[in-house]
Amino acid sequence: MNHLLPFVLSLAGFTALALAMDRQQRDVIGRSLPRSVTRALRIAGTCALLLALGVLVAWQGWGLGLVIFSGHTSLAAGVVHGSLIGYARKYARSTKHR
Amino acid sequence: MKTKQEPRPAGRGIRQSMSDLHTWTGLLLGWILYAMFLTGTVAYFKDELSQWMRPELPHQVQVPDRAVVAQRIADELGTLASGSPQWGMRLPDARNNSVQAFWRTSSTPGQRGFGEANLDPSTGRKVTSRDTLGGDFFYRFHFQFHYMPAVWGRWIAGVAAMFMLVAIVSGVITHKKIFADFFTFRWGKGQRSWLDAHNALSVFGLPFHAMITYTGLVTLMALYMPWGEQAAFKTQAERQQLTAELSAFIQPGRATGEKVPLASVEDMVWQAQERWGRDNVGRVTITHPGDAAARVAVARGEAGRVSMSPQYMEFEGATGRLLGIREGVGPAAETRGVLYALHLGRFSDTVTRWLYVLVSLSGTAMVGTGLVMWTVKRRQKLPDPDRPYVGFRVVERLNVASIAGLSVAMTAFLWANRLLPQTLAERASWEVHMFFIVWALALVHAVLRPPRKAWVEQLWTATALLTLLPVLNAVTTQRSLWHSLAEGDWVFVGMDLMCWALAVLHAVLAMRTARHRPELQSVRRPDRQPASGVALREGEA
Amino acid sequence: MDSDMPWKGSGARGAGGTLQPPLQPMSAAAKRLRKVGPLVSRIVAALFGGYALAALGSVAALALPMSKPQAVLTGMLASFAIYAGAVIWVFAARSALRAWAGLLAVAAPLLLAAWSVW
Repeated sequence: MNHLLPFVLSLAGFTALALAMDRQQRDVIGRSLPRSVTRALRIAGTCALLLALGVLVAWQGWGLGLVIFSGHTSLAAGVVHGSLIGYARKYARSTKHR
Repeated sequence: MKTKQEPRPAGRGIRQSMSDLHTWTGLLLGWILYAMFLTGTVAYFKDELSQWMRPELPHQVQVPDRAVVAQRIADELGTLASGSPQWGMRLPDARNNSVQAFWRTSSTPGQRGFGEANLDPSTGRKVTSRDTLGGDFFYRFHFQFHYMPAVWGRWIAGVAAMFMLVAIVSGVITHKKIFADFFTFRWGKGQRSWLDAHNALSVFGLPFHAMITYTGLVTLMALYMPWGEQAAFKTQAERQQLTAELSAFIQPGRATGEKVPLASVEDMVWQAQERWGRDNVGRVTITHPGDAAARVAVARGEAGRVSMSPQYMEFEGATGRLLGIREGVGPAAETRGVLYALHLGRFSDTVTRWLYVLVSLSGTAMVGTGLVMWTVKRRQKLPDPDRPYVGFRVVERLNVASIAGLSVAMTAFLWANRLLPQTLAERASWEVHMFFIVWALALVHAVLRPPRKAWVEQLWTATALLTLLPVLNAVTTQRSLWHSLAEGDWVFVGMDLMCWALAVLHAVLAMRTARHRPELQSVRRPDRQPASGVALREGEA
Repeated sequence: MDSDMPWKGSGARGAGGTLQPPLQPMSAAAKRLRKVGPLVSRIVAALFGGYALAALGSVAALALPMSKPQAVLTGMLASFAIYAGAVIWVFAARSALRAWAGLLAVAAPLLLAAWSVW
């Protein structure tokens, strides 16, 4: 299960990066987060992605590591994006204002 | 978003030109690209598919020792292909339970005749399984189609890939903004949701899509761009320098005519295993077997490195003496080797292979949503939605047949594999004919039925075929799901489960298509696509 | 906005300006030609001009200071990027004429390089 950690890290990374955006904050939490929190999220997200890359490179070397990293990040970005859309649709249906 | 634009007499921004370019390059070869994407995606599992399509071959519990197998196959080839100037074999691996052997049938240089056979690693004999192309059909169709000379097919694939590359670049230029705020889309209604799906699929898969398109061109670049090669090399011998950078093919020297039996191939493969790992020996090529001038090349497998560049050990056939080890090529050749490997993804472990498949499926969906969007966008502007112009109807019908119809045809190919009688002459070809017959029927159906009905009916047909395929497999072979589970045969288990997963996907699409009603319609629109106020976001899209 | 006929009129407008004077009585064929001519010209430039440029580039790569097989492969590898770039340029250019001119401008030095090694 060597793939699990980098995938979870990518997922967490993209979630943090998404939540660092004003629009997502308003959609998901209902209000904008303070500047400092947003910045922390952005840094945390970037770090998580870099860490995922580090884990993979340490495990498989640069060549394979980079390729597998691209795979995990592509999929993770897709999952985060899909969930945000799903969330927004549910939200839209329950509040009937969009 | 407005682009800063220099004054243009035509008043058309570069984004508009790029948007048009994207639309039209995407549409013109979109149907071919969709088929290439989907069959290519499936081809990542071609070895598994081949296993499934040869159910007579028992589930491989453990990969046999390749050194022993290589010797066994070499012995068998001694009778099967005696007198041939060259033999080759692809040794079995975790995904592949048979040995693909091939040999040159003609010793006249320049004349190319090949024989090939699938051999059983445990006996060396030809495998006794039904006659089928297996997963190789999708693999080959992916870049050279069928019913035409391979070179034509490859050129068509090349043109399609080039259009794809242009569509990607122009798409990126048109949609620059999307990359800036990737996570901020909203799921709109009607056209917007198609657009959003298309955008989302394109954006998060973009690195993959760009990579797979460019590397696809690279795999056949010597065919598409032979000019440098022709200018640089005047003689066959010079050209050989290039070939040596690309493949582990050793140039057969001149046979001496003196008969000397081949030294132990097992021993040679064993030496390669010592160097690259027990499971990492790929192909063995033998030139002039049985002659004093025999040479044996044992190539490194594809695991553990992202490169297809040739790496091999060369042995003197008569004595078994190691002549040399080749482990490096020039920088440009290595670049090509890496790009080639990225396209094929053969280095992948199971998880990475699945990542390839999932992202590649998103590429398929990107092309599919793009095609559908063309009609969605235009439907709203039709003067009379009941009687669209000819071009519109053509696109609409072709979309149905090439998207939903392809799912039906591909599944039908697998059905044919289980249903065609084993004794049928040209059985392997008939499986392929069935694929095309069903696909053609799908087109006829799409032409005859109203578009939405055609979509729904074909999607349901695919659902039914996929759902019942595991049942058919259980009835016609000994390898039912429960049997496979008990055996721990994950290829067959995975195949059954994937059929059902894909069946669910098709069912969801079918239900959504059937249910989709245009909202807030003032005009009567019999078809499924809505037209609401959001329609005119297109300048930006 | 997306129009059904992508470059319908774009070339004609490009040539004649947005404010076209009322057209003189012109035969239908000539009108049609004026409309689609520039578009066809661009398509030809993109498909064939682009390929020619890419092919030229792949030969010109032989002038690079590296061994022949490496230079040949470099040329092949880069050619598709050249092709794609050329197509984008052809449709981004302000007029069909400029599109061709751009292709030729890039082709000239490549031709020189290719000439030196052929």
